[in-house]
Amino acid sequence: MWHIAKRELYDNLNSLRFALATVLILALMLTNAIVYLREHPARAQAYHNAAANATKTVEARSTSLYRLAAEGPGDLHKAPSPLRFCAEGDEAFLPTHAGGSNFFPGIANVRPIWRMIYPQETPHLFNIRPDFTTLDWAFIVGYVLSFIALLFTFDSISGELERGTLRLTLANPIPRHIVLVGKFLGAFISVNIPFAVAVLMNLLLISTSDAVQLNAEAWGRLGILSGIVILYACLFIALGLLISAAVRESGVSLVVLLLIWVSFVIFIPNTLASIGSRTSVPIAYMEFWSRRIQLGNEAREAYRDKYGDSQTPPPVHVLGEYVTSEAEAYERFNEAYLKQQIEQGKRARAIIRISPTAITQRLFESFAGTGFERHLQFIENVQRYAREYREFVIDTDRADPESLHVVGIQEGMSQKPVNPKAIPKFKDTLSLNRDFNTASTDLLLLVLFLMVIASGAYLAFVRLEI
Amino acid sequence: MLKTLIRRELLDNLMTSRFAAVLLITLLLVVANTVVLIQDYEQRLESYNGAIRTHYQELRAAKTYSTMAILVDRAPNPLSIFNVGLDKRLGNLVGIYHGFMPTLWNAQMHGTDNPFIAFFSLIDIVFIFEVVLSLMGLIFAYDAIAGERERGTLRLVLAQPIGRGQILLAKYISAMACLLVPLILSLLFALLLLMRSIPLSTADFLRIAGIVFASFAYLSLFYLIGLLISVATRRTGTALMLAMFVWGFLILVYPNLIRATVNPGGDIQARTKIVEDQIQQILDEYERERQKFLEKEGIAGETSEFSKALGLHSYAFVDPVTLMSYVENISLISEIHPEFEQYAPSAKRYYNFVEPLSARTVEKTWHIRKQALDEIYVRQAETDRVLLKFSPVGVYDAATQAWAGTDLEGVRDFFSTARRYRKAVIDYLYAKEAFSSREWFIADKGAVDWSTLPQFTFERSTVGTNAKRALPDMFLLLICNLALFMLIVLIFMKSEV
Repeated sequence: MWHIAKRELYDNLNSLRFALATVLILALMLTNAIVYLREHPARAQAYHNAAANATKTVEARSTSLYRLAAEGPGDLHKAPSPLRFCAEGDEAFLPTHAGGSNFFPGIANVRPIWRMIYPQETPHLFNIRPDFTTLDWAFIVGYVLSFIALLFTFDSISGELERGTLRLTLANPIPRHIVLVGKFLGAFISVNIPFAVAVLMNLLLISTSDAVQLNAEAWGRLGILSGIVILYACLFIALGLLISAAVRESGVSLVVLLLIWVSFVIFIPNTLASIGSRTSVPIAYMEFWSRRIQLGNEAREAYRDKYGDSQTPPPVHVLGEYVTSEAEAYERFNEAYLKQQIEQGKRARAIIRISPTAITQRLFESFAGTGFERHLQFIENVQRYAREYREFVIDTDRADPESLHVVGIQEGMSQKPVNPKAIPKFKDTLSLNRDFNTASTDLLLLVLFLMVIASGAYLAFVRLEI
Repeated sequence: MLKTLIRRELLDNLMTSRFAAVLLITLLLVVANTVVLIQDYEQRLESYNGAIRTHYQELRAAKTYSTMAILVDRAPNPLSIFNVGLDKRLGNLVGIYHGFMPTLWNAQMHGTDNPFIAFFSLIDIVFIFEVVLSLMGLIFAYDAIAGERERGTLRLVLAQPIGRGQILLAKYISAMACLLVPLILSLLFALLLLMRSIPLSTADFLRIAGIVFASFAYLSLFYLIGLLISVATRRTGTALMLAMFVWGFLILVYPNLIRATVNPGGDIQARTKIVEDQIQQILDEYERERQKFLEKEGIAGETSEFSKALGLHSYAFVDPVTLMSYVENISLISEIHPEFEQYAPSAKRYYNFVEPLSARTVEKTWHIRKQALDEIYVRQAETDRVLLKFSPVGVYDAATQAWAGTDLEGVRDFFSTARRYRKAVIDYLYAKEAFSSREWFIADKGAVDWSTLPQFTFERSTVGTNAKRALPDMFLLLICNLALFMLIVLIFMKSEV
């Protein structure tokens, strides 16, 4: 077996395709590292500044508990992942913050309290530059490595069959499956050599730069990503062997493989996503906007119906109830809309898992801490923090014996300054545990794919007539 | 003799299973994606119609001139099914107001716009051709000469009294004839599906013909690239690998590589800041004149009462990113203040002075802003597109976008029409003497009649304009074809068999 693997390896190493593959992948990986090193420090700095500003804002509001209750915690920012060079995800399209805001007018002489809003950032609305895919690892692996794996394997059986050398090999007392495994190993090693060299160069560049520090967890994640790359490369090598054995002419096997590749890698993910996203369409943004205004108007109408525009101010607890219920309704509506959008995103991402490339893209995003799942985690963090913050306000208010305990109204609340250190701080944490949970299905699917294709290749080769 | 050769090549190509496989996959992809694209188009059309209705009602709901809300919508382009370009991505809704200049940069979006699915691109027909046709061209070409050379049949053919150029021509003609089958068949299927649900005009058919012609030139270009590789190499194996890597580089890698590495923008923030300051000066000038008028009217001291009686909100600001300047004076009166009538004549004079002034101010800022937008955003996008044109994909994409009218120019046409419409609305307001009327700020003596307001209509540019925009890229495609063919003939003439 080793003998066969070695022969394959030598054959491949001396070939033109090996040289071209090495040059191509190396160039891509170096570009990836250079672009990342150019962009990441600025991104990290921007996050750092924004987070510092946010802390300052909260500290400025800590002069009285009422201010904290009415004005809220300000903007909460999403921490950029240091592994963004592995998978860009759709970060460019996703909002980088969520915020507590209170600038919406309420009724006369009553200041409304803060509510969480999830900004709809659509920078692409005036982005007139042409579309492109970022050259991240997910692209290099998903598109380029799979393409190269097919180019290394399309003739490994059919080519030998045509040249007649397969007959000679099989005339030796070696079982067929050993021959197949040998071929597999040979192709596997020759595909992975250029990739490993390129990855090492890429990581070398990134880790020697002062601008970026990768911690132990990041390196662990990179290790997991390498495992995924190996699985994915195996899958396409097995696919190449399968088609090469099933189709006896190498010219035809190449065409078939390329067409399968084009469908798997390019068409299935995008076309199915657009079909899947149609199964759950959120309301239009303009409609959401006008309905939300209507919601505020309704709350105001309800209040006016009850208390009219009387000049005598109603009791504090009535006002308190109005401001809290208005903010709650508003926030609930925001969250319902966000949920609709997320549902659409989930649908689009669920259906594309027929393609191993899409699965790998998802896995890359999960472990690189970017993209859709990461954003959901950020939203969860934001919502947890909002609860914590509100509880803190209520608890602090309760501790003040002079307060009337009506949250959201100046006269009804504690006016004492709050120790800024005691206010809960927003931490946008990433947990590897959670990432594993979201990734487990994808991981299993990928393994399943690999097993099906590998056994297909085995069957096709064992039953091959020479 | 040429005929015999062509026939032989044609049969050779048509009978292969690779031809069948390519035909099948092209048909499958085009038909499946056309169905998806048509649904998408219909959904966008529906939301466009909905938006038109809503905006019509919103305009009717405005009782005074100062609270008018004219919103115009951009209809989806039916040819976006061929090349979606920027049609779906850019804003499709913009306000028309005399204190504001409508541009692409201030447009909003009617219809759904979910950031969580922005990651997935819509696969249009041209994209399928970009990927599949180029692959096909290379696969049909890589062994055309190298294969015959390996098998030794090339020698036999050359022993006949035929020129080498003729052999190449025969190979080219027959292969293109074969490759056109999937192209034309899939297009016919797509058109069949299209005409069932979307009405197309004669002009649209001409535009589609332009797209087909560009596709043909693109396909031929890739066939010639394959032929060049085939002529230049001695072994089919080498030719194949070269062809595949050339394909991978031109289609997959180069367009993304160039966008990732080259950033032609320069320091955008610093440049926008300078222009922002200039615009702010003009706005300050406006504010000074407004104050001067209030003084002249003798209400400068009691401006707050004047404002309160009128429910006046007055803004003038400039947006630091899009450099939009916005000047507004609006009367939001829910109840009439006891002192209102006292201020009514002043209010009429105020609006008659300030509204033309704000229109003029915005037009003044527009001169500066237009130049800045062109320098900052448009030039950047154009540099990108020029760089992309080093790969045939970029040229083909640009040419088909220009034909379909989904390119930047096509989208900007809408906004220039919107700006002309703004002018028409201002003229209408002048003609009705609306600025000095009572209905400008209060509807107590009857609401504004909007029925005579000029209608907004937007016609896509004519086929002639589309053709003119596509022409440079079409020429580039044709010249590349010709140059490559000459090169191949030269190499083949000199090569030893």
